[in-house]
Amino acid sequence: HFYPLVRDLLHCAGEENWVDSRTIYVGHKEPPPGAEAYILQRHPDNRIVSSKYTFWNFIPKNLFEQFRRIANFYFLIIFLVQLIIDTPTSPVTSGLPLFFVITVTAIKQGYEDWLRHKADNAMNQCPVHFIQHGKLVRKQSRKLRVGDIVMVKEDETFPCDLIFLSSSRGDGTCHVTTASLDGESSHKTHYAVQDTKGFHTEEDIDGLHATIECEQPQPDLYKFVGRINVYNDRNDPVVRPLGSENLLLRGATLKNTEKIFGVAIYTGMETKMALNYQSKSQKRSAVEKSMNVFLIVYLCILISKALINTVLKYVWQSEPFRDEPWYNQKTESERQRNLFLRAFTDFLAFMVLFNYIIPVSMYVTVEMQKFLGSYFITWDEEMFDEDTGEGPLVNTSDLNEELGQVEYIFTDKTGTLTENNMEFKECCIEGHVYVPHAICNGQVLPGASGIDMIDSSPGTSAREREELFFRALCLCHTIQVKDDDDVDGPRKSPDSGKSCTYISSSPDEVALVEVVTGLPGEISTMVSILAFLFLFLYKREIYLFCKGADSSIFPRVIEGKVDQIRARVERNAVEGLRTLCVAYKRLNPEEYEGICTLLQAAKVALQDREKKLAEAYEQIEKDLVLLGATAVEDRLQEKAADTIEALQKAGIKVWVLTGDKMETAAATCYACKLFRRNTQLLELTTKKIEEQSLHDVLFELSKTVLRHSGSLTRDNFSGLSADMQDYGLIIDGAALSLIMKPREDGSCGNYRELFLEICRNCSAVLCCRMAPLQKAQIVKLIKLSKEHPITLAIGDGANDVSMILEAHVGIGVIGKEGRQAARNSDYAVPKFKHLKKMLLVHGHFYYIRISELVQYFFYKNVCFIFPQFLYQFFCGFSQQTLYDTAYLTLYNISFTSLPILLYSLMEQHVSIDTLRRDPSLYRDIAKNALLRWRVFIYWTFLGVFDALVFFFGAYFMFENTTVTSNGQIFGNWTFGTLVFTVMVFTVTLKLALDTHYWTWINHFVIWGSLLFYIVFSLLWGGIIWPFLNYQRMYYVFIQMLSSGPAWLVIILLITVSLLPDVLKKVLCRQLWPSATERVQVQAGPRGRVSSGFGRAVTCAERPPWLTNSSRCHSELPRTTLGCSCSQGGHTPSPLTPRSRGGAEPS
Amino acid sequence: MTWSAAARGAHQPDNTAFTQQRLPAWQPLLSASIALPLFFCAGLAFIGLGLGLFYSSNGIKELEYDYTGTAGTGGCSACALADRGRAPPPPCSCAWHFSLAELFPGPVYLYYELTNFYQNNRRYSVSRDDAQLSGLPSALRHPANECAPYQRRASGLPIAPCGAIANSLFNDSFSLWHRRRAGGPYVEVPLDRTGIAWWTDCHVKFRNPPLVNGSLALAFHGTAPPPNWPRPVYALSPDPNNTGFVNQDFVVWMRTAALPTFRKLYARIRQGNYSAGLPRGSYVVNITYNYPVRAFGGRKLVVLSNISWMGGKNPFLGIAYLAVGSLCILVGFVMLVVYIRYQDQNDEDEDEE
Repeated sequence: HFYPLVRDLLHCAGEENWVDSRTIYVGHKEPPPGAEAYILQRHPDNRIVSSKYTFWNFIPKNLFEQFRRIANFYFLIIFLVQLIIDTPTSPVTSGLPLFFVITVTAIKQGYEDWLRHKADNAMNQCPVHFIQHGKLVRKQSRKLRVGDIVMVKEDETFPCDLIFLSSSRGDGTCHVTTASLDGESSHKTHYAVQDTKGFHTEEDIDGLHATIECEQPQPDLYKFVGRINVYNDRNDPVVRPLGSENLLLRGATLKNTEKIFGVAIYTGMETKMALNYQSKSQKRSAVEKSMNVFLIVYLCILISKALINTVLKYVWQSEPFRDEPWYNQKTESERQRNLFLRAFTDFLAFMVLFNYIIPVSMYVTVEMQKFLGSYFITWDEEMFDEDTGEGPLVNTSDLNEELGQVEYIFTDKTGTLTENNMEFKECCIEGHVYVPHAICNGQVLPGASGIDMIDSSPGTSAREREELFFRALCLCHTIQVKDDDDVDGPRKSPDSGKSCTYISSSPDEVALVEVVTGLPGEISTMVSILAFLFLFLYKREIYLFCKGADSSIFPRVIEGKVDQIRARVERNAVEGLRTLCVAYKRLNPEEYEGICTLLQAAKVALQDREKKLAEAYEQIEKDLVLLGATAVEDRLQEKAADTIEALQKAGIKVWVLTGDKMETAAATCYACKLFRRNTQLLELTTKKIEEQSLHDVLFELSKTVLRHSGSLTRDNFSGLSADMQDYGLIIDGAALSLIMKPREDGSCGNYRELFLEICRNCSAVLCCRMAPLQKAQIVKLIKLSKEHPITLAIGDGANDVSMILEAHVGIGVIGKEGRQAARNSDYAVPKFKHLKKMLLVHGHFYYIRISELVQYFFYKNVCFIFPQFLYQFFCGFSQQTLYDTAYLTLYNISFTSLPILLYSLMEQHVSIDTLRRDPSLYRDIAKNALLRWRVFIYWTFLGVFDALVFFFGAYFMFENTTVTSNGQIFGNWTFGTLVFTVMVFTVTLKLALDTHYWTWINHFVIWGSLLFYIVFSLLWGGIIWPFLNYQRMYYVFIQMLSSGPAWLVIILLITVSLLPDVLKKVLCRQLWPSATERVQVQAGPRGRVSSGFGRAVTCAERPPWLTNSSRCHSELPRTTLGCSCSQGGHTPSPLTPRSRGGAEPS
Repeated sequence: MTWSAAARGAHQPDNTAFTQQRLPAWQPLLSASIALPLFFCAGLAFIGLGLGLFYSSNGIKELEYDYTGTAGTGGCSACALADRGRAPPPPCSCAWHFSLAELFPGPVYLYYELTNFYQNNRRYSVSRDDAQLSGLPSALRHPANECAPYQRRASGLPIAPCGAIANSLFNDSFSLWHRRRAGGPYVEVPLDRTGIAWWTDCHVKFRNPPLVNGSLALAFHGTAPPPNWPRPVYALSPDPNNTGFVNQDFVVWMRTAALPTFRKLYARIRQGNYSAGLPRGSYVVNITYNYPVRAFGGRKLVVLSNISWMGGKNPFLGIAYLAVGSLCILVGFVMLVVYIRYQDQNDEDEDEE
């Protein structure tokens, strides 16, 4: 594909480069001769290729892909070395496992690719309706080309990215769901091009003569810039802007509209959907990182072992009678080989001999463990939300264990901590406060007068203001109305007459409009002249309404009862309500014309359109008159406080990042127990910085905090003791950007360090007034601070995506604001409260399991290979193997593989309920505690000790004597088999000692694999295998078992090997018990805890009187509506006034 | 956002004990209260077993004689001197005289022991062809490549049995003579040269090639003996059941030893008057000294040993059991002390709480 390449190159040059555009002739009609000449570009056809391989290139390409993984490559090298040079072990020993791993992976990937081929074919061959010469033609989808005019019927999926030309609906709109693109199943409205929306038939549309200029395809689903030139009879073309509201994306489905016509602009792999196939960057867990470090250590051990043996071999062989005694002559070619070549091959042979110390099966086991283990999250019934019918989602299983390592949680507020289920509380018009009946009387009164005034009765002038206020609420929103009865909307409008549903990306607006519905009064003619800008023609006057957060409205206001309203707004904010202010401006026709031209100019711009629009709005939105304010309550999510309390007890620092006002956010923080009554709040806000310099504020705060931290010991830091001062920090976006901003004198690093120091000593931090990017910035700041803590970000909205992607673990709440967060996250949960189980139970288990898995794998391979190394000292460094080929091959594949896999799936060192009841257990595994160097060295030394026991036990046993009762002598293979048998038993029993949770599966697998070893050995030695060219194992195992001392020595050596570990376990448990061990002791004798107990202990829910927030849109005032950044910060879809069912009073 | 009612329940996870990780399970705890009795019991059992093993090992008698012939050690030094220039080894014999004051209880086994001989060297231990040794006629004429440089003679004849192991077959021989009274005649003690190899080895794994015209010699026609062998493989023993590849001396030698110092069984003494052991009197072991070991710094020993149920004399097992048993008891006591002190502390902790 040539174009993507060009596009990429141009993208490097500049994001909005206008050179980087394409021109499309609608219906392949050349523009009239007078028009600008365009260079015709070639575009790919509409074939979608998501498959990776074809039938022919599958084997080479798949092998190449697989051997790009470093581990596979390592084993391939070992295998090749075995093939090429004369090595002690047959190539089968490493070839077979490698072949197994490669084949299984290839089959899996091949199958997946076959499925993709099938899906591609189905997609490429599905019929599409084209317009050709005024007639409707059916063709296969893949034959679609750029410039073709396509007809799409209701419930069909768009075959490529289309510019919406016309629709069967009279107003030139259509409804679309993008469930398969971004998971949002809400209906979105798209708009046909103004000048073409009249073309309703095939003939009409065929007569259209137009060209489209647009940017080259880019993956952002919500961004599109283009323009259309429509040539009418005159040669002077009409130029119209095109935005994402005119673009219908491939993969979206047409709804509620009979049919539409559109022209293809991006096809095949250039569609936005195809461009979004690219997966996100891979996150790697801390465990994986330590595993890789351990691997490097073992690689060093391996190389040094091989080097030591090679050097010793040549030192030992320097006496000729050792190198070539009379009974063991070399061949002529061996004698003549170059010394260095010989030494090198010897080195390689030793490498091959010891290569099992890095087991190929570890990677397979770890991946299987992660993949299978992640099912326990999706299966978890307690994390299934009955209300929404949603369960948790696992988007990646690579980070399972990272859930057990979290030190910082960054949480969004609205929709994450709170329900994002808005309830209108009150409004304040001109200083008079109005509340709904529901609050006055305690019951909802549907019907005419939904709102009562609680203050004094208003005068007549206030009447007018009142009307304007509600009118503004009616107009400034992005709500759509669904009138079908079978609509699956979550909100039904309260008035009973007609069932209709409001659908909006902003829940505040729904709450407001619902209140306004059913208010008395009449709405006169509304005129919307421009998309975007809601102007209101009322009594021959034109009004401009503006709704937004107080901080953005107040500076633009010149009139109105600012002080009264501000006081009310602040009061509401302290109570945790989300507040919005409404203002208006009267326009005369000249001003109106000016605004129109200003906006039109900005909107036609192809470059910097958004910037220009913003500037235009800035000009328009000034000198406003303040009307009033609204207050909406957002309830705290169920058990949010309980969850936060538990997480804090678990030693996790919880930061709330929100776009809300400080007062609102702080109220929520109190409600969810992030701040407690005794928490001393430190403020680092713009207001404070204005008073003093940033430098002074920071130093003062750090002094306050550090005074206490001096006496604070880490272990004591339970955060709960009453005598300890608890600090909470509040910082706002502006202050943060000041701290982050690099200074000329380079003192920024200093501020950052100071800031981090303060944060480290605060138990809770609240960041308010944060822009989405600042959220990511702060996550990054903490992530890269010198302790490198593991961070987790949780959020539900598009504005949280950046921090979800930035944090080590990103969790999406499957919320009301669409699924973008869930889609970009690593894990998604239906509710915030599920985070508790996710981290404290699942994360804890995964971490325990995988760390044991990693350590145990290294341990058992040290046990396996170290005797082999020792044996070299007794066989003249001749690379003689101690074990038979079958044992070498199967040790990791079958004798010792299943018990550890099962352990790593099933182990529960403490019961689920205990973990949930006692969050502090989470501290026991913090900071990668089970994979620290001390632990790693302990395991390694245990492995070395065991290996020494096995080898020298067998050595002293065999030295100079017979061990049978008939005087016969055993050979070297019996020696190896004895060591191997002791080893298999020791290693398996070591795991049995570590297992705390013995289900029947564990019993079956542990005892089963020991039995399998015995049965296999009996069989392997019991038959002369015709395909083997040596029969060295014939009857070796059976002869060994026939000897009494062999049994005794097996028992003795197993006991001795396990003794130190048992001793260590018992002593540690007695002398320095960890919290987990204490809990085990308590839970142990009393038997299993009933499963209901944990639930009973949950804290009483705080009454949800304090809650709230306001969305990001309330921070940015936008004329007309606050939709300027609903989902994903896209440009607002304009709302043309339509018949709105029961939404408007008439 | 909207969710259809149909979706509800569709994703509802299965509620089984397995998926909810609530399978019934046994949750043992390795605490001191369990470990203490375990340690004491294991310690006592090990000490008991160790004592038994120690005494039974001590009851085993063993006589050994180094006949390598380093200067001034017995009669074999002359032979050892002659061994300097290697092949062909001059015929030489020497003797080991010893006397028993009391009965050497039977059954008595005669071993030879070699030191510094690396049968476990990789190049050496692969230098054999199991297919040839199993009597496969095709393999007889086409020895495996691993046998090189003992695969074919210079003349091109395949070597049977091929390989370094077979070529270096131990070829000293021993005979035991007994004199009941001083001045009396030496009577040869019958040595049973069968039953010294694994039954499965000389009956299943090692087979002679099919006889040609009833003759083993003809079956080996067209092959050459290994270079160091004075006679072909079919003439290893006059006993037709103990010659060729199934010759027990040969089979014993072909089971390569695990360590560079090793013993191999030469004969069993269990016939006639000697079934109960070797009676008191003086003995002489006549040694035919052929096998050169001084070239690689090795030594040769002849060993007479009797055997119990636990094999030959090996104090290691008994001592190890005793040591581990006492260690268990010791550790048990240490843990007991810790346990008691900890228990007090724990109680105090709980009181504080």
